[in-house]
Amino acid sequence: MTTEIRSALAQYIAKEILQQPKRVIAPTTPLISSGLIDSFHLVDLGLYVEDTFGVHLDDTELNRDTFDTIEQLTALIVERQGG
Amino acid sequence: MNLTQILVFAAMVALLYPKGPNGKPSRGLACTWDRIRIRVVQGRGWVILVASTLALYWLQSSSPIRSLDFWLPTASLALTTLVWVVIYTPDRAAWRTAVPTIAVIIGVVALIASTRYFDPLCCITATRPPDIFTVTVGILIVAVISAGAAILFRGRARRLNWIVLGLIVLFVVLKLDIATQAFSAILRGLNGQDTAQAAVSDVRWLGFSYIAFRLIAALRDRVTARPAAPGKPVPTGLSLREFISYVIFFPALTAGPIDRADRWIKDYRNFVQTHQPAPATTPRPFGMDDVVAGAGRILLGVFKKFVIADMLAIIALNSINAAQVTAPGVHGSASFWGLGDGGLNQAIWTWVLVYAYAWRILFDFSGYTDIAIGLGRMFGIKLPENFDRPYFKPNLTLFWNSWHMSLSQWFRAYYFNPITRALRSAKETPFLPEQGFFRQSTFIILFGQVTTMLLIGLWHGITWNFIAWSVWHAVGLFAHNRWTDYQRRRNASDDPESTEQNELPLRRRLATTLSVLATFHFVALGWIWFALPSVSLSIQVFGRLVGIGG
Repeated sequence: MTTEIRSALAQYIAKEILQQPKRVIAPTTPLISSGLIDSFHLVDLGLYVEDTFGVHLDDTELNRDTFDTIEQLTALIVERQGG
Repeated sequence: MNLTQILVFAAMVALLYPKGPNGKPSRGLACTWDRIRIRVVQGRGWVILVASTLALYWLQSSSPIRSLDFWLPTASLALTTLVWVVIYTPDRAAWRTAVPTIAVIIGVVALIASTRYFDPLCCITATRPPDIFTVTVGILIVAVISAGAAILFRGRARRLNWIVLGLIVLFVVLKLDIATQAFSAILRGLNGQDTAQAAVSDVRWLGFSYIAFRLIAALRDRVTARPAAPGKPVPTGLSLREFISYVIFFPALTAGPIDRADRWIKDYRNFVQTHQPAPATTPRPFGMDDVVAGAGRILLGVFKKFVIADMLAIIALNSINAAQVTAPGVHGSASFWGLGDGGLNQAIWTWVLVYAYAWRILFDFSGYTDIAIGLGRMFGIKLPENFDRPYFKPNLTLFWNSWHMSLSQWFRAYYFNPITRALRSAKETPFLPEQGFFRQSTFIILFGQVTTMLLIGLWHGITWNFIAWSVWHAVGLFAHNRWTDYQRRRNASDDPESTEQNELPLRRRLATTLSVLATFHFVALGWIWFALPSVSLSIQVFGRLVGIGG
């Protein structure tokens, strides 16, 4: 399950946000603090996560303190799905 | 905070730690002292509450309006209490636990007011506080309003938006000169003072901005809160003592950082050792090393703010310095600045003013934040960082991710994210295409960035120069955003990994250095709008940088 979420997120970010479908994003690559994802696309990522995985992310959670890597975001999704 | 105030706050820490550095209890007189301190440790939460309440009154500057330096801090306390009441709509048990807090707060306020009658001790406020009868009436009014609000807002979370609106209106009153002056006139009228003398400088509400940011966050969190998932425990709210301590926590009272309540409260509960057993996330108890680390951070901050920033201030951009560069003849000699006459001289000195201002504002504000973080650490709270080497970032987006971070975080959480989310989730607008430069998302990005920057700018003051500063940055951010987008689209077919690897390291380093320099200059030039009171003066300074104008 975790692997699937990770690869789905990595694909979405590479294709839709970075516009570079071939790009491989490691689970530990910093996304927000590195500037890879800006604040606008972070909202898009939040909406994608909500639609695809059926978990809610608050507006106050869209920041690097809550998650900065695919690994951390996946952990958050899995935790919420489990609840 | 001035140096004396910082020293007093830091010295209070001695009360909070029961044992000496070697960890052994002392004997004799020292033993009695230790016993007192052990008692105080048991009441750490009260120490933070009382210290913060006293600081609220102590730090408030004086005003020509009688007793305003007493009433503004009292209003901060009243607002905070009111927001706690409407957010948590406490039941009987919650009220019972709030009683000691209310008693302590009223006790401290009464004590501050009573210094009026003890002349050598008068006063902790800048001027003599009002008489005890007036204070009693004031407290009764607050109590009645709070009780009324508790009934009015019970179970009606959406109504809390009206209080948010009220706080925003207060912001406007305090930030728009014409409104502040009218407000001053009203207050003067109520006090029986001459309304014709009303001035903007009459109303300087210490800490209002940061108190209001925390209150708005708490209110909005309550409005947008989702019901807990079935089977999951409902998170317990903050007690009145916790909420007031969080909102007016004295290290972060005047200039932030703006911490989030849920993060702050973890440190607080760990420090005051309530809610036993300690939560699982508790790393370790606080000890002498926190005091030492905190003191070190304070010293660093004092050096940055009172030595470096204050020295730079002498040659930093402001209207007076700008005027001196303009009119060398005014000071008796054409070569006043020692570099001879002419446009080049003026241009060079204008650049010096701009650079000095850029570094002064960074050292001043980040030094202040160091002091706040250091004091916070001494009192068991690890406040969030506010600066992360902002002048060494290769683009404007990263600059804004590292400058006054807790403020930009706040605006993202409570303005940018909700508005962008709403616009993105809304139905497609028929007149904008899905693809191409004029696609819908471009406009949403532009709208989000411009309005967020405008709000941040207007928060500094509702004047044209701050609007110009906001637009400067919004345009910069938008341009960077579009440039990144363009680059990504252009390279979409390439394999980014291989392109990056193929680039020569020297070339990449050079590109980064140039980007950092360009970003720094964009920000430094942007401060010209920020530092000077009028747009025309700013334009004049811009002209002088390139040798145009006089």
